[in-house]
Amino acid sequence: MSSSLRAMHTGSHTLEISGIRKEYPGTIALRDVSMTLAGGKVHVLLGKNGAGKSTLVKILAGAVLPTAGRILLDGSTVDLRSPRDSLHQGIAAVHQELSLVPELTVAENILLGRFPLHRKRPRIFIDWNRTFQEAGEVLMQLGARVDVRQRAATLGVAQQQIVEIAKAMSYNPSVLILDEPTSALAHRETEALFGLLRGLASRGVVLVYITHRLEEIHRIADTVTVFRDGEIAGSFPVDAATPGMIARHMFGGTVQRRRPPGLQVSRDPVMELRGFSRSPVFENISFTLYAGEILGIAGVLGSGRTELLRSIFGADPHDAGNLLLKDTSVVPRSPRQMKRLGVALAPEKRKEEGLVQILSTGTNVCLASLRKVSRRGFVTRAREDDVARGYVRDLDIVTPGLDSPVSSLSGGNQQKVVIAKWLNTDPCVILFDEPTRGVDVEAKQHLFEVVWDLSKRGISAIVVSSELEELFDVCHRILVMKKGRITDEILPHESTVEHLLSVCMQ
Amino acid sequence: MTLTSRSLSSVVLEIILVLLCGVLALIAPGFFTADNILNVLRNISMQGLIALGMTMVIISGEIDLSVGSMVAFAGCFAAFLTGHLGGPDGPLGIVPAVSLSICATLILASLVGGLTALLRTRYGVPSFITTLALLTGLTGAAELITNGFPLTPFPEWYNFIGGGYVIGIPFPALIFLSAFLIVQILMTSTSFGRAVYAVGGNAEAARLSGIDVDRVKLIVLMTTAMMAAASGIMQSSEIMSGTATTAKGWELDIIAAVIIGGTSLSGGVGRVWGTMVGMIFLGVIMNGMTLLNISEYWQHVVRGALILSAVLINRLQQPSPVHG
Repeated sequence: MSSSLRAMHTGSHTLEISGIRKEYPGTIALRDVSMTLAGGKVHVLLGKNGAGKSTLVKILAGAVLPTAGRILLDGSTVDLRSPRDSLHQGIAAVHQELSLVPELTVAENILLGRFPLHRKRPRIFIDWNRTFQEAGEVLMQLGARVDVRQRAATLGVAQQQIVEIAKAMSYNPSVLILDEPTSALAHRETEALFGLLRGLASRGVVLVYITHRLEEIHRIADTVTVFRDGEIAGSFPVDAATPGMIARHMFGGTVQRRRPPGLQVSRDPVMELRGFSRSPVFENISFTLYAGEILGIAGVLGSGRTELLRSIFGADPHDAGNLLLKDTSVVPRSPRQMKRLGVALAPEKRKEEGLVQILSTGTNVCLASLRKVSRRGFVTRAREDDVARGYVRDLDIVTPGLDSPVSSLSGGNQQKVVIAKWLNTDPCVILFDEPTRGVDVEAKQHLFEVVWDLSKRGISAIVVSSELEELFDVCHRILVMKKGRITDEILPHESTVEHLLSVCMQ
Repeated sequence: MTLTSRSLSSVVLEIILVLLCGVLALIAPGFFTADNILNVLRNISMQGLIALGMTMVIISGEIDLSVGSMVAFAGCFAAFLTGHLGGPDGPLGIVPAVSLSICATLILASLVGGLTALLRTRYGVPSFITTLALLTGLTGAAELITNGFPLTPFPEWYNFIGGGYVIGIPFPALIFLSAFLIVQILMTSTSFGRAVYAVGGNAEAARLSGIDVDRVKLIVLMTTAMMAAASGIMQSSEIMSGTATTAKGWELDIIAAVIIGGTSLSGGVGRVWGTMVGMIFLGVIMNGMTLLNISEYWQHVVRGALILSAVLINRLQQPSPVHG
């Protein structure tokens, strides 16, 4: 491993992707994607979750091997078998989740695993002077003012993001990939980041930029490429990228089952929020949910939507406001209490929070209703399996067997097990947090039908999702949430997806 | 994995145990006699009782390192109380004094277990740390109470608890077997058992399913501390004294038996029956080696090898973790 940094390259680079294909058991994530990305430009990739752009990033970063296809950097094929390969070939990625070691200094984080060693003493000692100097140089070239001796834990999110970028830049990459780098940044910090990216581009680096924020595109992009269903739906210069154009390419002609017309909302309020707050995550949230209503909440990552659901469910605290369940004031304190009052939560992190992966499907279905399933405290496998079998039939859950661990089920079926778990508690409101994440198209349709069925039975739902067109098709009403506040209310039958998209992304 | 090979691999330990017994019956003089079998049963009963509680604790994702010290402390504390309440100058007769001492010891022990749970659930202090502190703390307390000498206030009949027989079976073995039945049913067929597995498998998912995670941890830690104290009373009865140096290192034997029985230290996985088998396994091996006149030093080495190979067999049976 080289102990010192290579000199920064000044020529312009080209990244060529040729026929890249990625197949997973059961699905194809990328279908023979080819594109050429020129250096000196910022290439924005757009697409819904699961459209294939993150798979492409993972392949470029060496985290995932493609099933077929070639990647050429400056005309020659590169073999990317691990993240290390990618870095040493000159492709660096900054992922959405920050990955600094909090107790190490900025300099140590930047040069982690590649510390310069003392030239005179035995070559096992770190040369701290050079470590700080080299890290300082990288930051200076980025025009960033961060103290290299500061511990990473003391940095704000924006500064951490800059250190991540500096770490990537210290490999002197020809290609720099940024996956939603601004989702945690304030406006001013975003501006600073954009300035920095412009500077990098002017040195000939190929910049790949992934975002969900439409308004950023015109401030940073040179070209826009839209992914849909593992293919490139369209690629055009930024001047041609109007919101309508982008929406058309993103959503295309996808045929989606619409909410059945007979689905009526009653005028009986089930849940009412008044000035519900948890500063600074969400503030002054007020709305009324009616029996059988499917209420959508649209908003980007970090808008406070997940936290809102968790506070309603009593999993997290709240600090102001009222919650009324059927006209009775309730202070949510614990999931246990809210469960008894008929509220259920299908959490965003299904695997980590929704199910106990090592336990069987049957046990998981009964997990929230142990009291109901048991007789005088006793519960048998057979009883659990009886209960579970009913839901497997009703919700069409595909399982290798009720005895097998729930981890052996696909994402969509696991989500159905979560729903089954809550249905067995006889809820009146189910809170769905990103219910379709990691779920294939067909399973999504099943999930929607389940939600509609619940609505028919008078069970209300609050659905949080970043998949706008899904909300549009599934919900009676959509609230738009931004930076912890509700900013808009949209009725799907009086509006268009394009309108919702532009409201959300402004 | 086919169904037959799966059901076969789940009894692999039982098969090895049967083979081991077969071999020992052939080569070890006096192994396969009623006396010796009862002897093995008595030897494993006091540790085994604690191992049952430990199984619940480990399945729930916690650990208790203080059980050995608790055995010593409980014996000393019971002896101390008996001596003061029922001695020549004491306020009570010897029968009420012993009964009261036993009750007080069990209650105090469960409070200590409750403290571990409270520190874990309220302040996030890992049970590993709290019980490590209790491991030395309780030993120290036992030494303080006894001033370093065995206390011998017990009446003759007290010896029954640890050394007596009921229809030819050692009394501690009866206690152990009844406790086994209760814990086995508790863990396999009650909603509480399900909650223990859920809490250890994924505490957050359990909490979000409305399970009272704190209460589950409180109950299993209190129960185990109380079982350790019960074992300590039986131990003090067997040796007819409260001795601070007794049961040193038991926690390791007990945890070893639980792990050999297939319970995962990361929580959520384990069987009470497995602990029973693990306990018998250890008892039989130690007994066999003693009968064969193999030195105690070798017994330690063999026990170490056993723990490692049992866990390895367990790992090899499990499918490799899925990455996604």
